[in-house]
Amino acid sequence: MKPMLHYLRVTWQIFRKDIRVEWRGRQGVPVMLVFALLVVFLFNFALQLSPNLQAGLAAGLLWVALAFASTLGLNRSISLERESSALDGLLLVPVDRSAIYFGKALSNFTFTTLVALVLLPILSLFYQQNMFHLPLVLVILLGVGAYTGLGTLLAALSIQSRTRDVLLPILLYPLALPILIASVEASRGILAGQPLGELQSWIYLLLAADILFSAAGLMFFETILEE
Amino acid sequence: MFPIETDPSFQIVIRELVKRYHFQPVLNQLSLTLADGDFCILVGANGAGKTTLLRILATLVRPDRGEIYLGGKLIAQAPELRGEIGYIGHQPMFYNDLSAVENLRHYAHLYLCPDPEILIQNAIQAAGLGAAQHKPVRTFSRGMQQRLSIARALLHDPHLLLLDEPYTGLDTEAAQSLDERLQHLHQPGRIILLAAHQPGRLLKMASHIAWLQDGKISHHIPAASIPEVPALQAYLREEA
Repeated sequence: MKPMLHYLRVTWQIFRKDIRVEWRGRQGVPVMLVFALLVVFLFNFALQLSPNLQAGLAAGLLWVALAFASTLGLNRSISLERESSALDGLLLVPVDRSAIYFGKALSNFTFTTLVALVLLPILSLFYQQNMFHLPLVLVILLGVGAYTGLGTLLAALSIQSRTRDVLLPILLYPLALPILIASVEASRGILAGQPLGELQSWIYLLLAADILFSAAGLMFFETILEE
Repeated sequence: MFPIETDPSFQIVIRELVKRYHFQPVLNQLSLTLADGDFCILVGANGAGKTTLLRILATLVRPDRGEIYLGGKLIAQAPELRGEIGYIGHQPMFYNDLSAVENLRHYAHLYLCPDPEILIQNAIQAAGLGAAQHKPVRTFSRGMQQRLSIARALLHDPHLLLLDEPYTGLDTEAAQSLDERLQHLHQPGRIILLAAHQPGRLLKMASHIAWLQDGKISHHIPAASIPEVPALQAYLREEA
């Protein structure tokens, strides 16, 4: 089989395996969901805001909930590969090791997007704001893609560390700040009815982050995993 | 699965390997050549660097210096060569929530094994895990996990087999079964390197023995020549 096809099949197989393990254990997505919903509920009751302000808050809350929930998912993603040194099994596969990065990033992206899909109707209900806009979905996909792309790289970086559970958020949150700011600004603008033309710069920034972290995974993932 | 053009020169050549951990050299200018059909037992005291050497050969650890050639190709520059390597380490490398069959299927797909279901069933039967094949691996005993680990390492029919203390956790019956498996695997077209702290039972099966001392291979001799090296003989007697 051609190397490129093998590469894609390994990426797909790692993604499939993560979905299967999650389906069996249900240890990742349910925890992410509970955490994200808790954030939304608590803020709803803690901040008794006027309907106008609530609408503005929805975009920020969506991304706060997604960022923290996604970090939980990334931690679970590392611990899964550390269990019984399963990562060694992946490293032995005769294909460029960046395939592991894309497989893991794809599953992390899927889990966080699932959480976002559950959050949208809940935010609509609590914050009296229609969250179902196609451009908002696009921003969510781009923002989650960039966040999980960066998160997967940093998760791999912290995998050898004994303090990885603490290390990952410490590394991730400051570096992900531009992604989160761009996501919040673009989402807020869309919910406020701003024309997309005015939000282009934020959307391009997210797109650039997606490309940047994909390229970084392709080039550096093997080096990051080396002992 | 990923056939190297096997010829009489199919061998693994290790040249001046150096690996340091925290500035302490574990392997220090280590050189070793294993030829096609060799079954070599790697012996050495605890901490001598046996596991490090095997992990470097499996491309799981990058050496600080030195080169490794497999079948004439530099191993570090040819990821496809990993398809020629089967590795059994201290950990079984499985996903505990998946069953034995699902774990093997995962690896069969990663290695693009042809007819994976037949291969998996054969591997499960050879490992003696037929009754437990659909149970999650987390319910397996250490011995069962080790047998499954051996099945995983052999699934893609590797030419270079690296085994790090493979008898750990095996009961007498499973150990005998592994003996038979190794004897069957010891044939032209394959190189076996097995690290063992107590190699007693293996000396009859092996073709060669390599003694790792002070980060180097101090002796690499045919197993039949052990009596000619009193120091090695004494070491083996001590460890027995």
